[in-house]
Amino acid sequence: MDVFLQVVVNGLLLGGLFAITSVGLTLIFGIVKVVNFAHGEFLMIGMYATFLISTKLGLHPYAAVAAVVPLLFVLGMLTQKLLIEPLMSARNHDIQIFATVGLSTALINLALLLFGADIATTPAYGLRTAIEIGPIRMLVGQIVMFGVATALVIGLHFFLQRTRSGRGIRAVAQNRAAAQLMGINVSRVYMITFGLGAACVGLAACLVAPLYPTSPGIGTYFVLTAFVVVVLGGLGSIGGAFLGAMIIGLIDSLSGFYIGSDMREVAVFGVFLLILILRPQGLFGGRLKLSHVS
Amino acid sequence: MTDQTNTPNAKTVKRTTGAIALAALLAAIFITPVVVDDQFVYHIFITICIFAGLSTAWNIVGGFAGQLSLGHAIFYGIGAYVGIMLTNIGISPWIGMFAGAAIAAAVAAIISYPCFRLHGPFFALSTIALLEVFRVLALHFRDFTGGATGMMIPLNIGWEWMVFRERLPALIIAFGMMCFILAVAWWIRSHRLGFQLVATRERESAARAAGVGTVKVRLFAVAISAALTAMMGTFHGMYLTFIEPESAFSLSFSIQIAMFALIGGLGTVFGPLLGAVLLVPLTEFARGALGAEAIGLHGFVYGAVLVLVVIFVPNGLMGLVGRWFSAREATSGTQAAEVATPEETRTFTPPEPGEEIVRVRNLNKHFGGLHVTNDVSFTLREGEILGLIGPNGAGKTTLFNMISGFLEADSGTVEVKGPDGKWHSPTNPADFATLGVGRTFQIVQPFAAMTVEENIMVGAFHRYPHVDDARAAARRTAEKMGLGPYLHAEASSLTIGGLKRLEVARVMAMEPRVLLLDEVMAGINQSDVRRAIDLMLSIRDEGVSIIAIEHVMQAVMSLSDHVIVLSSGEVIAEGKPRTVVEDPQVIEAYLGKEFTHA
Amino acid sequence: MLELSGIHSGYGQTTILQDVSLTVTEGEVVTIVGANGAGKTTTLRTISGLLKPSAGTIRFDGKDITKLSSHETVELGITMIPEGRQLFPDMTVRENLLMGAYRKGAQASQSQLMDEVLALFPRVEERLEQKANSLSGGEQQMVAIARGLMAKPRLLMFDEPSLGLAPIIVSQVFDVIDSIVKTGATVLIVEQNVFHTLKAADRGYVLENGEVVLTDDADALLENPHVRKAYLGI
Repeated sequence: MDVFLQVVVNGLLLGGLFAITSVGLTLIFGIVKVVNFAHGEFLMIGMYATFLISTKLGLHPYAAVAAVVPLLFVLGMLTQKLLIEPLMSARNHDIQIFATVGLSTALINLALLLFGADIATTPAYGLRTAIEIGPIRMLVGQIVMFGVATALVIGLHFFLQRTRSGRGIRAVAQNRAAAQLMGINVSRVYMITFGLGAACVGLAACLVAPLYPTSPGIGTYFVLTAFVVVVLGGLGSIGGAFLGAMIIGLIDSLSGFYIGSDMREVAVFGVFLLILILRPQGLFGGRLKLSHVS
Repeated sequence: MTDQTNTPNAKTVKRTTGAIALAALLAAIFITPVVVDDQFVYHIFITICIFAGLSTAWNIVGGFAGQLSLGHAIFYGIGAYVGIMLTNIGISPWIGMFAGAAIAAAVAAIISYPCFRLHGPFFALSTIALLEVFRVLALHFRDFTGGATGMMIPLNIGWEWMVFRERLPALIIAFGMMCFILAVAWWIRSHRLGFQLVATRERESAARAAGVGTVKVRLFAVAISAALTAMMGTFHGMYLTFIEPESAFSLSFSIQIAMFALIGGLGTVFGPLLGAVLLVPLTEFARGALGAEAIGLHGFVYGAVLVLVVIFVPNGLMGLVGRWFSAREATSGTQAAEVATPEETRTFTPPEPGEEIVRVRNLNKHFGGLHVTNDVSFTLREGEILGLIGPNGAGKTTLFNMISGFLEADSGTVEVKGPDGKWHSPTNPADFATLGVGRTFQIVQPFAAMTVEENIMVGAFHRYPHVDDARAAARRTAEKMGLGPYLHAEASSLTIGGLKRLEVARVMAMEPRVLLLDEVMAGINQSDVRRAIDLMLSIRDEGVSIIAIEHVMQAVMSLSDHVIVLSSGEVIAEGKPRTVVEDPQVIEAYLGKEFTHA
Repeated sequence: MLELSGIHSGYGQTTILQDVSLTVTEGEVVTIVGANGAGKTTTLRTISGLLKPSAGTIRFDGKDITKLSSHETVELGITMIPEGRQLFPDMTVRENLLMGAYRKGAQASQSQLMDEVLALFPRVEERLEQKANSLSGGEQQMVAIARGLMAKPRLLMFDEPSLGLAPIIVSQVFDVIDSIVKTGATVLIVEQNVFHTLKAADRGYVLENGEVVLTDDADALLENPHVRKAYLGI
């Protein structure tokens, strides 16, 4: 029983990790309608930035948030402005996929050129220390991550639902033409949204870096799961992504324990494919149309 | 606009120049390494052949069919693993190659079928997920695959085992396979399958209306593509002499395959070749020159080039080549006017007029709170022109969608009398097409990447499976529709009036028995309206029954035998054009209530 | 107040408007009538900045606004109530109305505007907390108009307000438009429901194939046999 409880708690904590890495992705998809294949590389950039700040300046990795989040915000805005916006009017929308796939490939290899293939270890400052509550062991960093993920999801939800800017962002997502007629500068909203999505993953990077080794390929490792989470939760649904993350975290943890640690990915991606095929709007998504019938 | 330069003469010139360029390129790929005779140069050119072959195979599904797979390494890995496993039990890779191809084709068909309803990024994501699953499974089942340590091939040297001490035989095989894959791609693109794939990619609805089995053709494409990829995979496995899951089922490898096709020209036959020829040597030399310091450099270049190409030359390098050709033609001025050669039209015995051919009963459809069609019933008789009119938003197009299989009614029935004289209740566009019901779309749906002739051929393939017959039928239809002079123009270069006629021509090439026309006269000028009216009458005289949604009143009045007026989803009047137009309810629906007394 | 001169406009390569000129003076109600595909909606989209004209100039209060984007024309007080309602489907009616007051010129007086607008639309007030996509067609049209008024517009443009509505609802919609006109608003209406709009309007333009073929006082157009013929073929 204790073991089962530990596995479940591990799954939920893992869910916190998945949630914080997926939230930006689902935001960008929901509003800008672009699947950002370079999302994982944004995470990777954030993690290297955290690594550099904490090793070169001797700061706590969490302090890097002050620099990494703005950095990623700007990077996201630039990606939208320079890469996505010129392609929005393209006849073939699928070509957008390749723009971000190209960006992802270029960034991974740029990191290889700059940092080499060796892993970079960010100082842990005690975040990898386990604390025990009854029979359950948890890492400090994991608990922080879970808390921040929850706060981020609630904060974003509040921002989108209750503030004027948030309402403007939702309006663009629901009816772009009408939003323009309300006086919304759509291309600016897209830039800000892309920036926000990237900033979210920047925040994630600062929390992930002390727990996981950084390498050029780390983004791919995380982003595949993030795609699963986002599709499961219904693309564009912030709350859905959080629930999706918890479910995938549990599946990952339970299958890893009961089936075999090398088969976890089969379970996770198996669920992903089933969802894509049987319920492409996601478990919690309602109206988002994924496959367009023109 | 005088840019109709793709006249037959210019086309022939272009084709000949293209063929010479291609032959020269292929010869250079083969001869250069033989002449230079350097191990490294051999390696580069063998790599070029392998990537060109893989990219060309990918392009059949990614380019022609527009299904952007990012998991093609699945099939490559299957080919490599099957080849090596069979070699280990003493079966030649020449046989293993075909075994791998068969397995890959089957796997491709099985995994793609459910994924085809996903478009764009979602199809790409599902292929990535499948790739991950295959990689993990290959790692897991060590007994078969050797797990993470991978598999070595036994060192049996000779042609039989595809393993050589020298490089030349490997080049011969790689080159031969590349040429074979290019030939397959070229064959597909110039036959029915290719037309149907491109049509499906460009406008799925229009393709379905033209009777294309959109799922079937894509399954064919993905199976062929997978088989060719697997064959190349078998060879590459033997060439590398060692495989392991991380490299055989690699995402970055899959992306690279797709990249060359995109950089060279998505959906073109020879674009992937061009992409591989230009990029492989560049990065291999850079790697050779800079050594270990340059780890990541080639990937960075690939990614950066891809981004630049996507933004600045979305048609790829082949697009640039095409532009260069067009520019030359424009200056050399090879503009020959197409001489219209009207061919004999099919002979037709008009049917007994008056028999029912389409029966619509009590159709209802809701969209959310809106009742779009409310208990609509009517009958179409053979040889009749039925005018369907009503204010904007009355539900006319929704009704059309239900009587062509594009939309399922909430309740009610649609019956069509088949050529066999029996009544059928078709449910999807393909069934309607088979029964001889053809439709146009209110918003014209040209296949933009095709010429006018090719657009019409997509419809003609419904009756004529062979490309030459279809071409002849398409030309006949084009003449009739007054599109003869534009046969070789890109569809996207036509005016609105031209596009409307193209829309009708594509359907007419299917030789339908029932024709559904959705506002073919909207937005065209007066002289075109006159021509369109004559055209519709001549179509009717051939025995085709027509239902026409139309706003141009002049046309409705002079064409229709019978008129139905739809308002807010209900039939509010029905009868002879004259009587209907004087019906107070109709005037009210159109002009407003008090106008009736004005 | 609004002046179009020699406007050519369209989508991509396709030109729809050919040399369209028209004016709207302050406090006036002007209508553009014409068949489907004549270019009525294109005219409104060009004025609001959703489409950029390929030739000609648009002036608003004497200022050249030809090159402005839609978010800039909205700031100037040009509000378009789009064809087919175009609400934000997953937002409540209240949120839709608040979106109407998004422009800076309307934000400050948002709650006061809301009271004024709801006084005009008692039915809308009943539905405030419902999702927009759960409303009927007529209700959606009312919300769309109310949302347009929330922008405190100086020029209000209606695009086919009768689209897809049952005759009885159309009458109600025009009653609302009449009451807006009575407040002295400057209005430009595009419609195929000729009678209702000409009754409501001071002047009208008849558009055919992207060209203005006829312009006159609304009453004169009502009597004009050409108008009747163009719309019914009689």
